[in-house]
Amino acid sequence: MRRLFPNLDLNFLGTAIVIAAIGCLLIYSATYFTDPSLKLFKRQIIWVLIGITLMTLFLAFDYHSLFDVAPILYGVGIAFLAYLLIFGRLTANVKSWIHIGGFQFQPSEFMKIFTALMLARFFDSNDRAYLNVRSFIVAMAIIGAPVFLILMQPDFGTAATFFPLVAVAMFFGGIRARVWIIMIVAVAIMLPIGWNQLKPYQKERIKIFLNPERDPLGTGYQVTQAKIAIGSGGIHGKGFKQGTQAKLAFLPARHTDFIFAVLGEEWGFIGVVIVLSLFLFLVVQALTFAKHARDRGGTFLIICLVSFIIFHVFINVAMQIGVLPTTGIPLPLISYGGSSTMMFFIAIGLILNVDMRRFVNQ
Amino acid sequence: MRVYRDDQKFLSFRINAVLWGIVAVFVFLAGSFWVVQGVQAEKYRGLSEANALREIVIPAKRGLIMDRYGKVLADNQPAYSVTIDRVLLKPLVKADPQHRVKLITFLSGTLAITPEEIEARFEKARKEVSPTKPFEIAEDLSMSQVAAIQAQSVAFPELDVVPVQRRNYPYGTMAAHVMGFLGEISERELRQRKELRQGDLVGKRGVELMYDQYLRGRNGGEYWEYDADGRRLSEYAPARKQPVPGDNIYLTLDFELQRRAEQFFVENEMVGSAIALDPRNGEVLAMVSSPAYNPNVYSKRFSPDVYKIIQSNPFKIELNRAIQGLYSPGSVFKIVMATAGLSDNAIGTSTNFSCGGSAVFFGRRFRCWRREGHGSVDVEDAMKVSCDIFFYNTGARLGVDKIAHYAHLLTFGEISHIDLDGERAGLVPSTEWARNKQHRKWYPSETISGSIGQGPLIVTPLQVANMTAAIANGGTVYQPHVVRYVDRVQKDGEYKRFRVPPRVLHQVKLSPPAVNAVRRGLWKVVNEDGGTGGNARVPGLDISGKTGTVQVIAQHGWVKAEGLPFKYRDHAWFASFAPLERPELVVVVFVEHGGHGGSDAAPLAKLLYESRFREKVTNANIDLSNPETLEQIREGELPLPPSTP
Repeated sequence: MRRLFPNLDLNFLGTAIVIAAIGCLLIYSATYFTDPSLKLFKRQIIWVLIGITLMTLFLAFDYHSLFDVAPILYGVGIAFLAYLLIFGRLTANVKSWIHIGGFQFQPSEFMKIFTALMLARFFDSNDRAYLNVRSFIVAMAIIGAPVFLILMQPDFGTAATFFPLVAVAMFFGGIRARVWIIMIVAVAIMLPIGWNQLKPYQKERIKIFLNPERDPLGTGYQVTQAKIAIGSGGIHGKGFKQGTQAKLAFLPARHTDFIFAVLGEEWGFIGVVIVLSLFLFLVVQALTFAKHARDRGGTFLIICLVSFIIFHVFINVAMQIGVLPTTGIPLPLISYGGSSTMMFFIAIGLILNVDMRRFVNQ
Repeated sequence: MRVYRDDQKFLSFRINAVLWGIVAVFVFLAGSFWVVQGVQAEKYRGLSEANALREIVIPAKRGLIMDRYGKVLADNQPAYSVTIDRVLLKPLVKADPQHRVKLITFLSGTLAITPEEIEARFEKARKEVSPTKPFEIAEDLSMSQVAAIQAQSVAFPELDVVPVQRRNYPYGTMAAHVMGFLGEISERELRQRKELRQGDLVGKRGVELMYDQYLRGRNGGEYWEYDADGRRLSEYAPARKQPVPGDNIYLTLDFELQRRAEQFFVENEMVGSAIALDPRNGEVLAMVSSPAYNPNVYSKRFSPDVYKIIQSNPFKIELNRAIQGLYSPGSVFKIVMATAGLSDNAIGTSTNFSCGGSAVFFGRRFRCWRREGHGSVDVEDAMKVSCDIFFYNTGARLGVDKIAHYAHLLTFGEISHIDLDGERAGLVPSTEWARNKQHRKWYPSETISGSIGQGPLIVTPLQVANMTAAIANGGTVYQPHVVRYVDRVQKDGEYKRFRVPPRVLHQVKLSPPAVNAVRRGLWKVVNEDGGTGGNARVPGLDISGKTGTVQVIAQHGWVKAEGLPFKYRDHAWFASFAPLERPELVVVVFVEHGGHGGSDAAPLAKLLYESRFREKVTNANIDLSNPETLEQIREGELPLPPSTP
């Protein structure tokens, strides 16, 4: 362990912690006015500290030993999701929270890590350039099981976050042209059937996405208010704690899904570019790690985790200004929330884990 | 342990491809934010302010209107209105569906307004007032109403008693037609004047209308932060705009002249008009139209019925007779005839015509008003005794078109561009008028009756005053005006005075002998025995004038006015100026169905000349040169009454 420490990439780790610190500041700015006790701000600091602890934990063990326990973790995760479906309580029309004592968490967040581990483990042992039909089905089943359970909750947004794993499996696992064609045909057939399976509020979200003027005071209200917040920030922003949109509660979910709008309002375009650059640095660095990883399992583990990060960042940032529809997808390391903060710190830990152990003979 | 394998190249290539894809996505995202934050920032900044800030208008104080010496004729009185804030009302109704009914019942009981009327005001506000702005549900509350509403402030937090400034005309009907009144802005005015908003009070008539831009000032505003639930948080001080008070206006009216003239009409139960004009500059010293309305009654928001009452008054109290009433000038027109005849050399100062009580022109017999006739008269005597025969002859020599030419020069048939609304031009007949407007030939016999001011010719009392002023000052036609100064507050708080300068509309070329003969004739009317205007005579004051009596219906023979019902009685005119040398005052009196010019109209002129030249009655003994102290005297801030717990 000690001899591994000099291999730890401090730039990468530092960037992740800076992003988390910016997140805490934004949560403070978004909530200090309506919540003078700063309960949410203090909690988020605790989440970050717990996240850093978990990150250290996932750094400490060689990821190959994690591959060994991956089926157990994956199984426990599936069990939790199944438990939720049967015994879960509805929170905001969704059974996605597990309540233990006064404490609650979303198993679906942790399931992302476990599924990534499981998939990386699968690709570690599958060393063909292209997937054959059997291994493709196995890969899809690994992803499909949690997705199916989460869709049943029903949490459309979280289920969608597993999509990048499918893309990773197909793009990096390698698929032949005829399989691509079959996939596209299958999706084309499934799409109208899937539309009918959507909940009315999900259909509404997509319709409003296609036509934002449809409902300026309903679901479209969020995007409208977020755009007002971001646009009114201009180049320089209104300054720390000066955002009226966020402070005066015009912006819904301003400390969670729409935290980026607070950034846009108070720190302006400059702040937006800085935070996007930090994320870009994080992702580029992680993919560089992936290229230099010791083995195929390490490469795939990083790619899976990075695909989560990039997907969350892109969907969340794009929905702030209405480029994509509003979904309940948090911004990694910045949005308020215990489960997601911990999940992303674990992801950072795993990426560093692979990078740290990149030299074959150590 | 599996070692990194042969497909490393394959993976590296794909990772690089994804990497560039990700860079492209980030560039795209940054670009999208640039569009929102860089290009459209202004739009969203405005929306953001509208979101969080609500404007509370601080109304500007409307300027005072004063007489020429600073006596206040229109000011602002502190009053209380009650407003409803719908932002606060909405959650209350949501929590308690009965709340709205309770509110309306409470208001109806407290304000003595029917629930239907309250609903109507709700409906009006729904259409016209932005839902985030509190709207006025009633104005001019009594102190007990204020107390009753404040006592219920816990039950009805959406109600707010606000201090407002209400327009007040301390002398009621005094100079009402000059002052005008205020009213709620109409759709059309709203389109014309972009700076105003729905529900604003604007001048509707008179000086209040014509000088509205000066009087109204600029409203200020406070900007308060509200949260998404409509709770008021704190004021956003940097946006605060101080109101700019409106300009104070000094009229040319002389309070005492105006008051006495009005009183004369009221005491004698007369309908009509009187004008006192300074022939040296066109300043209107008094302008009466009687009977008058009370602008206090109409300058309110919720009084649609009052307007109907004003309009349906049988005496047409809304009409400003001085500039809108069109009447036949009668014998007063003889001033124009004499001036035209002498200037055109149709007659000379020594031309005599013989009056035998009647004469034949163009195959028709025309009578003089005096059955016995006046004998042989020259122009001066003809005016003195108002001999019709003399002017029939003058008219016959001039012809209608020359008469029309001089009448136009002396302002008849033209508007004078006085600074009041709704002025009418009247009508001066001519052959061209008969051809173009009547599609008929002009008969020469019409010229004869027209020579004594009868026929289609109609004029306003102001035109008669303008004509008299031109004769008095030797031919200068001034644009009459009722505003003398406009005092505008400057940035340093001092007032800067803007004078309304005398404006010459045109100069009539009159030969001095002609003018002098006309003036002498007019002097004789009043000052020589046998003149028709003896009732205006003031010893020592050389008052000159001309009486006129207008037959309302064709009378066969000679009938005493008193024997006729009111609406068939004659109109009475008196047009005059004084002193004879360098005249300073023109007085024109017109009494509708007054009977006779000499007996009914002339006494008022006499009264006004006495007031002006003998008593020198002004209220100049108070120092009113500083309007700032004046404003402090008139408009103290009234604090809100202590709220009852």
